[in-house]
Amino acid sequence: MAAQKWSFKITPLRIILMLLAALAAVIAVYRLATGLSTVSNLNDNWPWGLWIGLDVLTGVALAGGGYSASLIIHILHVEKFKPLSRSAALTSLIGYLLVVAALFLEIGRWYNFWVPFVSWGYHSTLFEVFMCISLYTLVQIMEFSEILTERVLTFLHKPIVKIMPVLLILGTLLPFGHQASLGGLYLLQVGRLHPLWWTPLLPWLFLMSSFFVGPAMITIESSLSGRAFNHHIDKQILRSFIRISGYVMIAYLAIKIIDLIRLGVFGYIFEGSLESNMFLLEMIIGVIIPIIICFSPLSATKKGLITFGVFTTAGVVLNRMNVVFTGMYKALGSGYFPAWTEWAVSAGLIAGGILLYLFIVENFNILEYDKKYQTA
Amino acid sequence: MAGLANSFGRGAMTNHFNDYKNTDVFLVIGSNAAETHPMAMKWIQRAKELRGAKLIVADPRLTKTAAHADIFARHRPGTDIPFLLGIMNYAIQNNLYHKEYIANYTNASYLVNPNYGFQDGLFSGAGEKNGKFSYDKNTWQYQKDGETIKKDFTLEHPNCVFQLLKKHVSRYDIETVSKITGVPKDIYRNVCETFASTGAPEKSGNIIYAMGITQHTYGTQNVRAIAMLQLLLGNIGKAGGGVNAQRGESNVQGSTDLAMLSHLLPGYLGVPNATKHTCLQDYIEKETPPSGYWKNKPKFLISLLKAFYGEKATKENDFCFDWLPKVDGKNRSHMGIFQEMLDGNVKGLIAWGQNPAVGGPGAQFERKAMEQLDWLVVVDLFETETAAFWHGPGADPKNIKTECFLLPAAFSFEKEGSVTNSGRWIQYRYKAVDPPGEAKTDTWIADKLFKAIRKEYQNGGKFPEPILNMHWDYDKPGHDEPDIAKIALEINGYAVGENKPLDSFGKLADDGSTVCGMWIYTGYWAMDKDFKVAKCKRRSREDSGLGTFLKWSFSWPLNRRILYNRCATDPQGNPWDPKRALFKWNGTKWIANDVPDYNSKIAPEKSAQAPFIMLPNGNGRLFANGLADGPFPEHYEPMESPVSNIISKQQNTPCASVFKGDWAKIAELGDSRFPYVATTHRQLEHYQSGAVTRNTPSLVEVCPWMYVSLSENLAREKGIKPGDEVWVETIRGKIKCLASVSPVVKPLTVNGKKIEVIGLPWHWGYQGMSTGATANDITPAVGDGNTSIPEYKAFLCNIRKA
Amino acid sequence: MSKAVLVDLTKCIGCKSCQTSCKQWNDLPAIKPQFDNTLSYPAETDGYTYTTVLHRTTEKNGQETLRFAKRQCLHCLEPACASACFAKAIQKTPEGPVVYNPDLCVGCRYCMLACPFSIPKYDWESVFPQIVKCQFCFDREGTHDRIGHGMEPACVNACPTGCLKFGERDELLKEAWKRINKYSKYIKHVYGEKEAGGTSWLYIADVPFETFDFRTNVPNIPLSTYSHDYLKWSPAVFIGGGALLSALHFYTKRRNEIAKEKDKNHDINA
Ligand code: SF4
Ligand code: SF4
Ligand code: SF4
Repeated sequence: MAAQKWSFKITPLRIILMLLAALAAVIAVYRLATGLSTVSNLNDNWPWGLWIGLDVLTGVALAGGGYSASLIIHILHVEKFKPLSRSAALTSLIGYLLVVAALFLEIGRWYNFWVPFVSWGYHSTLFEVFMCISLYTLVQIMEFSEILTERVLTFLHKPIVKIMPVLLILGTLLPFGHQASLGGLYLLQVGRLHPLWWTPLLPWLFLMSSFFVGPAMITIESSLSGRAFNHHIDKQILRSFIRISGYVMIAYLAIKIIDLIRLGVFGYIFEGSLESNMFLLEMIIGVIIPIIICFSPLSATKKGLITFGVFTTAGVVLNRMNVVFTGMYKALGSGYFPAWTEWAVSAGLIAGGILLYLFIVENFNILEYDKKYQTA
Repeated sequence: MAGLANSFGRGAMTNHFNDYKNTDVFLVIGSNAAETHPMAMKWIQRAKELRGAKLIVADPRLTKTAAHADIFARHRPGTDIPFLLGIMNYAIQNNLYHKEYIANYTNASYLVNPNYGFQDGLFSGAGEKNGKFSYDKNTWQYQKDGETIKKDFTLEHPNCVFQLLKKHVSRYDIETVSKITGVPKDIYRNVCETFASTGAPEKSGNIIYAMGITQHTYGTQNVRAIAMLQLLLGNIGKAGGGVNAQRGESNVQGSTDLAMLSHLLPGYLGVPNATKHTCLQDYIEKETPPSGYWKNKPKFLISLLKAFYGEKATKENDFCFDWLPKVDGKNRSHMGIFQEMLDGNVKGLIAWGQNPAVGGPGAQFERKAMEQLDWLVVVDLFETETAAFWHGPGADPKNIKTECFLLPAAFSFEKEGSVTNSGRWIQYRYKAVDPPGEAKTDTWIADKLFKAIRKEYQNGGKFPEPILNMHWDYDKPGHDEPDIAKIALEINGYAVGENKPLDSFGKLADDGSTVCGMWIYTGYWAMDKDFKVAKCKRRSREDSGLGTFLKWSFSWPLNRRILYNRCATDPQGNPWDPKRALFKWNGTKWIANDVPDYNSKIAPEKSAQAPFIMLPNGNGRLFANGLADGPFPEHYEPMESPVSNIISKQQNTPCASVFKGDWAKIAELGDSRFPYVATTHRQLEHYQSGAVTRNTPSLVEVCPWMYVSLSENLAREKGIKPGDEVWVETIRGKIKCLASVSPVVKPLTVNGKKIEVIGLPWHWGYQGMSTGATANDITPAVGDGNTSIPEYKAFLCNIRKA
Repeated sequence: MSKAVLVDLTKCIGCKSCQTSCKQWNDLPAIKPQFDNTLSYPAETDGYTYTTVLHRTTEKNGQETLRFAKRQCLHCLEPACASACFAKAIQKTPEGPVVYNPDLCVGCRYCMLACPFSIPKYDWESVFPQIVKCQFCFDREGTHDRIGHGMEPACVNACPTGCLKFGERDELLKEAWKRINKYSKYIKHVYGEKEAGGTSWLYIADVPFETFDFRTNVPNIPLSTYSHDYLKWSPAVFIGGGALLSALHFYTKRRNEIAKEKDKNHDINA
């Protein structure tokens, strides 16, 4: 295996992705050199926009697949899910790398990015997010280096395998912190974030949704890579995997309803406003339909699984966007629509992530490893 | 100022800012104190807080002052006279005027020529002279018994001033006033009740006005109406009372005192007339009244001539009276000069701290007029529109031959000297910083300019004597700057041979033994015994509680803080309100909280006979026979008006100063092209023509855009949205600016007809950091019959989307 | 003792002296704002402006009138902005001012989002923008300090009408209520007494605060309470969670091993 050559197939789709990524890179350099106003439409009313909403808040949630898998596979040792572990970990790592990149572009005084490591604003939710994400990305890199060192820097492989359990535990624990804290960021928006979303339980809801979107992401991903790399995961495994999501979703739905009633804002759901419609959409697409699929024979079919994955993921994306945009719209006004450069950077980042994934999958033992477990 | 001088004797604010705290009811009319005199607002608010004072604001616009009003009366631009006469009528009808006061202190009791009359909007004596309307004032004179005027202290005689006044104002009942002004009746009644309540002896009412009153073809009569109302209610001479003309610039009072006017010499001495005053004797005989303080006029004039011509001025040569420039009866006011310039008769202009290219009426025409000049010197801080008239809109530099000079001047913080505020306080200020670059103080420029001109004349010229013999000795050895102290001493006055400032104009003489540049300031440069500084430099906060602050700076005349303050007590010397006693006669002498503006050495009953010491008869004038356009104010419509005058057949004042040419074009009554009433105004962010403020970044920031205020109603009709570009047109031209749509202006119901009003700030021009249309490009060049002040405040326009 | 300012909007004449003197004292650049129909320039505080005077037309006693309100940072007693800053670049000082230190600022703009009054602004045009908000003229050892030197803030010093009054918070609060109780014109509400747990700048007025779009739905507790209520779980979650996960990890691993062994044994036995 060591003698294996690096390979990377070039297809038309990949060329497009590369172009997108290259464009994003150029814009990113320009942004770092000239400031934020040159590439973004952010303003005093909307200090946070697409990059935070999509790349960070949504990105972290979706990349969260890693930790639910990790919890289930490595901590609870539900061995039948082992075939999913490496590809889940990879997506997650790439997801976080993108988040970190986006964050770096997002902060206005990027040369000061290290300050919070020494000047601890520990009373800030953002501090928790920052610390957690930094540590987690580090942990993930180390975790992943188990795979890397199978091929490069092989002398490190043994020691890494030794400390793996610690890394795994940390790697499961940390996301609990920042997934929740991302929701916690919006706790301060009390009275501004629309009551359909604002609740003191927001962190916990974020945590739950980031948890249940993990398996959904993995279903999508495995069906995609299944097609691309002929890496088929047993439907049964996936089905019981998404069941876990299903239970969490039921809990989520119940908590959300009880919470809305408790806060006396249940009525907003049906007031027919932009907010209420978006909320309904989010709940129906992202929670109710997936629950139905999950606990019906539909989930035994490939289509059903994919639908579950797509709907759940869309629901979570919608949820995050609703918190960042829809729910804040009344309070902050309509003064923001992302500039094309913002879109380009977001798209480019995702393109870059996909390219990285493809490269790694083609050159490292990701899917093979999973396959091994699958056949075992 | 003519309106005040003809009512009280002096053309100045009677009280002062700090005194506002003693007021019970304010009537602010034609002034936006909150924006133009924010510090005045401080004292208004103090009065509201301390004594529950009421604030009435009468203004076409909802101004920042109106925002604080207890009663806000929106009246149509140009209808101040009916508004004020209506209050007088109300006070008289309801017996709310101060009877004891008017009987003793005003000319209410004087009997007027029985042939005096008023009909169809004209006073008796209407006629024509030199092709111009004018009044023969014979019938306006008092009835006399030999030299003494006949009086009826019961005020019952049908020919007495009070009865004439009563009759004159009786036409201005609430209904009529409401119809003319557009103020709803209930609001107007409330105004009348509230302000007339200050007719009670122990109450003080204060009228504050500014350019909204004066800038009309009947501006002088507007002021008269204010002065009369205050006399009628007994509000003059009292703490918290007065007619308080808020001057438009920090030192405009100072420049008026020093005669920056075409018809005056320093200290309000009239400029001699070439035909009327052929020699000093002529002038003295014709211009010195037999009684009142002005009988000392020769002393003031001769001391002034001594200041001008020094040793050259001797008794033998009439103290060089012949060298004084004389007037020839033609209009030499601002508009008069520009008319001559348009006609090509004026060859050179020095615009010193003035920006007529923005500030003058029909400014576009004034810029045109400047094209006729051979040379132009502008002394200013920045390249103003005037300095840059040759590349303004519509100007073609290729065709303009005028040679232009711009002399950079120092700003007020960059030079030392005194400033006279509205309240007549002469306050000395020191230099804070050096002027930048080549900028020089005005005194330096004047000094160098004069010396250079004198040098030219040494080689001969027309009539060189006044220049060559001018007393000009202000050098300070070792300094480039002239010596301010020498100038100050000369203004203050001294005895020849002694270099010590005199402490009172009482010491001035008419024999050439005293020198005095401006008699009313005498004493301001004299040493204060306790503080060892010149009096205008004093800064003691010691006070009687009435805010007179007698040891803070120096107030002309003779440090009197409230003018005509003999009226603060009854004839026996008891204060009208013991809690605000400026004076009290204790049986043997006066207990004083102010400097008496009367002879305090004589018995109170005696001084009570002539409390207005500057007037020949010593009594305030409810009836004033000295003005060109009538002894009483009468309502006429502005020259441009959308409605006809409902109170008489006389549409406009017959005495307006009218000019010829495009800039003086006037829209006819009912011209459907120009259906809306426009008024110009200032706002706090900018100052005058904006020469300084539009070049100051932090002031540009707080108001960067020229705009027009229009009502929500009009905006809807015209499809204009906030921020839209609009054209504002008058018969003289059009300007483009942005629309501000808000209830700042609202349509008024005038005699049943809806009249829209729009407001235009006039601070913008094409130079500086913030540029914008010049409102004065479209204002009419037509002026008051007494002072020629232009009618900026009411004209007709149209507005449409650009 | 904590310094505060009482703003009595009934006295404000909209003269903007406070605004321009703030600019000058703090060496802030002047800009040329967009046209604003109310003639409030700039219409909001911005990346170059600590304070601006809002102009509003409103109705009182059936007649239109104008009211003005100076807007700037309220210097909360427990500022959400400071609680949101993860680099400690914004801090509440014992003297009262909430001050910003650009050297520590990362530029994440969470404070902008966190402030319930939308105060912190950003000088977007810069390459490395700073957060911009009123510093209460407190700049210890810096060139813009006044409070530290025992002076009142530049804006208070410039106000001609007594609309702004500088002093100790508890005394000013008492005075605010005294005025409210003495004159019937006032709205019975001291804005900033309770909002967001209390602020150092207090407002009283004779028109509803909504006139100036002052938020009136701000909770009466410090906003940071919400995040603290959540964050206080963090240590427990991390320690407890860590322990739990480790335990689970080893337990399930062991269980699986036992199960496997059982399987093996089973095989052998079979
Ligand atoms: S008003 Fe906003 S910026 Fe000011 S201290 Fe409070 S939270 Fe911070
Ligand atoms: S306290 Fe200082 S920094 Fe804050 S608004 Fe006033 S002058 Fe500006
Ligand atoms: S200085 Fe005072 S009166 Fe003027 S705008 Fe500011 S707060 Fe209002």
